Amino acid sequence: MNLTQNVASIAKWSTILSSQFHTSAALCRVVSGKYRITKKRDKPLTYEMANPPHYIAHRKTWNSWNTSNLKDGLRRSETALEDEFIRRFINGTWHGLVCSEVIIKRQFNHIRVAAIMRRAVSPIKMYFLLGYSEELLANWLQCPVTLEIQTVDSYKDVVFKYI
Amino acid sequence: MIMALFTRSYKPGVLFNTNLLWRSNSTLETLQKGEDEEEFRVLDILKKKDKHQRRVARPMKVPADRAEKMPTDQNWGNVWPGPRSFHPSSVPLPIRQGYVPKGQVPPGKKANAELMKIPNFLHLTPPVIKMQCEAIKKFCTEWPKMLNSEQAIEQHYPVEVITSDYCHASPTIRNPLARIVTLRVKLSSLELDKHAKDKFLRLVGDRYDKETDLVTFTADRCPMRKQNLDYVNYLLTATFHESWAVEDWEKQKSEEDMEYYNWDNNKSKRNLIDWYLKVKNEDRLLTDDEYKSFDVSEIPHAIEYKETVSDLFNVGENKETLSRYDTVVRKLLGLPEKKC
Repeated sequence: MNLTQNVASIAKWSTILSSQFHTSAALCRVVSGKYRITKKRDKPLTYEMANPPHYIAHRKTWNSWNTSNLKDGLRRSETALEDEFIRRFINGTWHGLVCSEVIIKRQFNHIRVAAIMRRAVSPIKMYFLLGYSEELLANWLQCPVTLEIQTVDSYKDVVFKYI
Repeated sequence: MIMALFTRSYKPGVLFNTNLLWRSNSTLETLQKGEDEEEFRVLDILKKKDKHQRRVARPMKVPADRAEKMPTDQNWGNVWPGPRSFHPSSVPLPIRQGYVPKGQVPPGKKANAELMKIPNFLHLTPPVIKMQCEAIKKFCTEWPKMLNSEQAIEQHYPVEVITSDYCHASPTIRNPLARIVTLRVKLSSLELDKHAKDKFLRLVGDRYDKETDLVTFTADRCPMRKQNLDYVNYLLTATFHESWAVEDWEKQKSEEDMEYYNWDNNKSKRNLIDWYLKVKNEDRLLTDDEYKSFDVSEIPHAIEYKETVSDLFNVGENKETLSRYDTVVRKLLGLPEKKC
């Protein structure tokens, strides 16, 4: 008897008790690899930075070229990790000189590292750094490494636009 | 105080200028004057000098591009002998690459990372390819004259071995998929009699493709290609010789074990012969062997009937075989044709 009374009383308030479930669309905001416009519009961007990641293979290409990226490629994780290591090593060894992304191309067991450097140090130092990085990377990665460097006068040469 | 300064800026082997010792207390003018005279670093106690003075990089003398000095009749293969990332100073081409809004000019070849990224074929120009082909020509042998057509090749080399080589960028050249070996041979190129062929097909199972008449052996169980190749060769040899062997128990093969319907051994033939003899009023009993060796060509439409019944069992029941069976039976029994 009590139970039925309870149920009846709850049923009377049911319109108020049933709370509303509030939903809204997910905010799919992608910010990685994109740069914000500054007030003065004086932020320099290279061509690579000016094109967000979804333009890869449309307006710009990949920075790593190897067969591990392909379907059924071998050594995926090792290749990715080695590429990251090479990038960090080049950026640290050629400190403040690298003006572009470090491009890594692999052919058979040969690794070719390409980058645009600033001519801020003497050519003798550049030659030393070249041999030093090639030798050390070849020893760590256990395969021949070639550095293919293009030099520019200053950062301003690689600037594509200002935002 | 003076002593500390002295020890800091003293370099052995250099004649020391005594009035410079007092520079720390002097004014900015004398400081800058002294800077011009000598290269010593001076302790600046009063912090009059700017703390973070930027080092101005001296403009480096850069020679003119190699591409500008190139003669027009040079051998390009010597300039660009192997695969290499694009370099603007060595390529005498006015190249541009990059996406720009309409009306603008794409970025030029200098300091263009996009050009460095894409693989180029500057080392494989047509004259270079021609030269390299000429160079390796001496290692080539002539194609045998007798093997001038696909049929001739098939006849002389019936066994086909398929393997794959993989080319990939990695410190190791090994690819586990390269171990897989496939051997293909046409069944008609093997010397097999009726019994051996039947046994061979039973042994190979679904490795035989009826439409192309090809028997395919694939091996990937061993780690090396050589071992797998040996294994498929062994498989072919073993199945071939095993199919020729006749075991004692094979004589016990009965009608239930037949892989296809043989009308001559079946009850359908007996019924037909019995019916035929009854129609002719010849009442005689035949033995099993007599039934089997009975020549049905004397019965009108019996050959057709035999083929149709065999088809019905071997091909299977479908619209065609059933309708053919219908017409043939009507012919055999002398019934009127079906009205459409």
